[in-house]
Amino acid sequence: MSPELIIALLAAAVQGAAPILFATLGEMLSEKAGVLNLGVEGVMALSAFAAFIVCHLTGSAVLGLFAGGFAGALLCGLHALVCQVFLGNQVVSGLALTIFGVGLSDFLGTPYVGVGTEGFRQFAVPLLSHLPMLGPVLFRQDAMVYLVYCAPVAVWFLLNRTSLGLGLRATGEMPAAAAAAGLNPQRLRAFGVMAGGFLCGLGGAYLSLAHTHLWSTGLSGGRGWVAVALVIFAFWRPGRAVIGALLFGGVMAFQLRLQAEGTNVPSSLLLMLPYALTVIVLVFSAARAKYLKTGHSAAPAALGVNIEPEG
Amino acid sequence: MILKIRKREESLGWGVLVVYLGALALALAVCAILLALAGKPALEGLVILFRGAFGQSYSLLDALVKAIPIFLCALGVALSFRMQIWNIGAEGQFALGAVGATFVALSFPGLPALALMPLMFLAAMLAGGAWGLIPAVLRLRLGVSEIISSLMLNYIGILVLEYLVFGAWKDPASFGFPMTAEFVPAGQIAHMGPTLGLSLGKLHWGLLACPLAGVAYSVFLSRTRLGFELAACGEGERVARYAQLPYGFLVLLVMGLGGGLAGLAGCIESSATLGRLQPTVMAGYGYTAIVVAWLARLKPWPIAFTSFLLAALRVGVEVLQLELQIPAAFGQIMEGAILLCVIAGQFFLSYSVTLKRSRPVAAAASKGERA
Amino acid sequence: MTRAQSRTDIGAVDVLPLVRLAGVTKRFGQVLANDGISLSIMPGRIKALLGENGAGKSTLMAMLAGRFQPDDGHIEVAGERVRFASPREAIAAGIGMVYQHFMLVENMTVAENVLLGQEGGFVLHPAAMRRKVGELAERFGLGIDPGARVGGLSMGERQRVEILKLLYRESQVLIFDEPTAVLTPVEAESLFTALRTMSAQGKAIVFISHKLEEVLSLADEIAILRRGRIEGEFLASEIESPSELARRMVGRDVVLDIKREAVVHGRQVLDVRHLSGPGLDDVSFDLKRGEILAIVGVAGNGQQQLVEVVCGLSRPDSGEVDILGQSWAKFFQSRDWKGALAWIPEDRAGLATCRTLNLTDNLLLTTRQGFAQGQWLERARARETAKGIVREHNVQPGNIEAQAWQLSGGNLQKFVLGRELYREPRLMVAEQPTQGLDVSATEAVWQRLLEARKTAGVLLVTGDLTEALTLADRVVVMFRGRVMGLFPVTDTAQVERIGSLMAGLKE
Repeated sequence: MSPELIIALLAAAVQGAAPILFATLGEMLSEKAGVLNLGVEGVMALSAFAAFIVCHLTGSAVLGLFAGGFAGALLCGLHALVCQVFLGNQVVSGLALTIFGVGLSDFLGTPYVGVGTEGFRQFAVPLLSHLPMLGPVLFRQDAMVYLVYCAPVAVWFLLNRTSLGLGLRATGEMPAAAAAAGLNPQRLRAFGVMAGGFLCGLGGAYLSLAHTHLWSTGLSGGRGWVAVALVIFAFWRPGRAVIGALLFGGVMAFQLRLQAEGTNVPSSLLLMLPYALTVIVLVFSAARAKYLKTGHSAAPAALGVNIEPEG
Repeated sequence: MILKIRKREESLGWGVLVVYLGALALALAVCAILLALAGKPALEGLVILFRGAFGQSYSLLDALVKAIPIFLCALGVALSFRMQIWNIGAEGQFALGAVGATFVALSFPGLPALALMPLMFLAAMLAGGAWGLIPAVLRLRLGVSEIISSLMLNYIGILVLEYLVFGAWKDPASFGFPMTAEFVPAGQIAHMGPTLGLSLGKLHWGLLACPLAGVAYSVFLSRTRLGFELAACGEGERVARYAQLPYGFLVLLVMGLGGGLAGLAGCIESSATLGRLQPTVMAGYGYTAIVVAWLARLKPWPIAFTSFLLAALRVGVEVLQLELQIPAAFGQIMEGAILLCVIAGQFFLSYSVTLKRSRPVAAAASKGERA
Repeated sequence: MTRAQSRTDIGAVDVLPLVRLAGVTKRFGQVLANDGISLSIMPGRIKALLGENGAGKSTLMAMLAGRFQPDDGHIEVAGERVRFASPREAIAAGIGMVYQHFMLVENMTVAENVLLGQEGGFVLHPAAMRRKVGELAERFGLGIDPGARVGGLSMGERQRVEILKLLYRESQVLIFDEPTAVLTPVEAESLFTALRTMSAQGKAIVFISHKLEEVLSLADEIAILRRGRIEGEFLASEIESPSELARRMVGRDVVLDIKREAVVHGRQVLDVRHLSGPGLDDVSFDLKRGEILAIVGVAGNGQQQLVEVVCGLSRPDSGEVDILGQSWAKFFQSRDWKGALAWIPEDRAGLATCRTLNLTDNLLLTTRQGFAQGQWLERARARETAKGIVREHNVQPGNIEAQAWQLSGGNLQKFVLGRELYREPRLMVAEQPTQGLDVSATEAVWQRLLEARKTAGVLLVTGDLTEALTLADRVVVMFRGRVMGLFPVTDTAQVERIGSLMAGLKE
């Protein structure tokens, strides 16, 4: 392989990692607050459309970006409503959200299939882009990739260095303790789910605004589920999520490159790669957790458990 | 004014029906709004949908045909949901079942129907069951979440099917279309109409699998020791350990059986409806099955009824698609919306909500649970 | 009933109570949990609230903490009528609470737990947080590492974290719910010292307990709560006879009328020799039919691991365990559901029973082998048996279709006991069998355990010394997985030392 090809692959890996990282961090925020959200796939699908249509109508990619985020937050708000207020089962509600979100995205998006948008274009960061190796890989990207560089730090800061994050974590571990400390665990959970939804929405927006500049249905293609798996892989730590997302971005870039070059490996087998990798990653994390005996303490203790009303 | 929420001591009785109908109405309202947003006549759309689904006898028959795979998959899913094992891999197990049956049909075309058919069923159930066992083993051995692993296996299973249909199994005479050769007649499940001398459309003998599986499911759960142990495991692994329930064995059993049932559905679909294997065999029945299982609260009779209802909905959406040019995804939206509304509505089945003034004089009407 | 004066107001007319309850009433449906309660909580005094489980203590606490609102009557803080809409408002009003089950997040540090909800700013500075909490701990003599994870702390240390939370918030009224339940006698003594110090600094302390000795040694004022009402209020100095206090608390003579007939000891049913493993260190004892052996100690000193081994959940690491004359492996390989081992776990609602199954199904949970012909389950016979158990053990409500969660703790425990006795065990393990039960249920459970001696040996794991000394023939004291002492209850010299043995002090 030539150095140019390696650099191109790495740059593509970073682009492939971006939407997954957004979604992984979003799911992490939700799970840290104690809510399992299996709707990420649907959220990404719908927000990809929301971002596309707003960008298409207004011509502004930034507005599209926000539209994606807000669509994600809104759809996750539905999950919060069903699970926090109506005490619905989080697993089933999340699945329903995925079915609903993917369906809605296809339904609304069908008339626009094949329509292009401007979206975000790549621009080189002055100076930094001239760094050897790192420059072309990291700093000749589009604006959303630069945004995703900040996201893990922001999520880490929120969770570990702010009072809001402290409350979120307490709610995910033991809602009763948060309530006794005068916090409102329901509200904190709703915030966690919706803020997480916003991030997942950014992941979806990336797909339609930066990844492809052409609308088509089925854009999310299982990335939401990969994100759910990566939260486990990352042991609920933002830093490790970066590694996981890059791994997947790399595999996807590799697979796309192979397909583009027209190898004689059947495309179905290539397409299988990310999904098989997800299973492998899960097995790896589980085995590691078992070996280190830390797996269970890494997951928020009250994850998936609804807050029952008192009295 | 304060909202008082309390756990119900007695079941709601007929109120259950009200809750379900209310949730359904809400979901339909959401769908009508979406129709209107897409610039289609909302009310008329719903009318077309219902007429399409329930209006003619052939649409009912069509719904019945579609209900067969949904019912079988839903039973399998419900089995594992009963013990809080979240098998959402019915779609992939269905695909593997179809692959298994096709393998037999293509490999032994010379066998008589009496041998070929059972062999196809067996292969389908084994393949589907094995696909279901993978997440079960991963969970038991390593604690891998079965939710994500079974879902990933859906994607992989479908791609396995496509790999075969686009590759090794492609019919040379298909003009490049991804499909296998047609099964020999002995490998195709016959339609019921001609045998019975009735006009039953596409209804086929695969229907018989449904009552068989349904009765077995309910007898297993209500009359056998293993069935009881399954229900008790639903409370979690700690109770299972206390009462020495064979938790691990049951996880393998429900995932294996669930996969087997989904595989059977895959076999019936490819053999009876298509007569061959092609990618269109994957119609999302495995996902609809999850919706059905939960809506029916995992009980066999409601599963049968709900399978038919959601199958009819699919038929109705097909009509809607033709008449108003509505994308097929509308069916998915309806399923998702109904499920969301019903999950929210089920709250009212286990909790009572009363409005209370801040300083009431008399005791609240509902019974309290705590002293 | 609403405006009754609190008796202890009289002693200090010129001092305003920090908190006053005036005729506070709270109902849950038909149940009157608190009925016209009036109390004054004075600065610089320790008030004990004496009451049995189910007397309405936790409801009263929840209203003071802002989790519930009173249906009738009101709460005054420093003479002002208040209405707490949320726990935050109660905290802001200076009321702090230490719950029996600590409200601590195990996965967070001491400092994070103390500052939760009181961070004083959006951005946190962990080093500054640790320093602040460390200084506070030092000032009040509560030695603790502010950077430690709570999950790794002992119960006594966790309680100190809870107290630090209140001190940090500068709560003026400190309410403690059964604070000594999880402490060793030594830890309890240091808690009392801390409480006296805080009281001397002008804080009002409310101390909820059902242990008379504690209350008498600590409190300035004592209020008795029974069936949701204040039964009486005294200054500690006025108390002449503790037994009078006890009678008022329970509503009848407390000396439970337990007939402890002598039963001839039979064959050995359990023999544990040099058992070691996670949480266990060289444990040896034996148990014979006709005998009750009590394992006492503060929770978390190896009792749970011991029970798990004896009940077959975990394999003994080293050492030997013989059950009913067979080796551990052999016994659990081929054990029968009947005539062998029965286990009454501490967690009756989440482990011994399935919350959402009815009583028949809950009977089948451990007896299903007796109601099965091959794979076929004989439900009709199970229903009859369940009815029999409900009748014989007076389980209320007597409806076998009721689901487990609908039963009160006492009734559920009676049902579990009935089910396990139906298995005619020869070895019975009972963990904290009367925790949280009222007197009559306690008495019923004790009676049954004593009766069980006729056919079985009973291993009683308890943190309640009274229970151990009432029922047991011999006592094993455990500390950090080791046996600190094994002696008959008649050995008064040893019995005197139980407290220090529980704290790990040999001499």
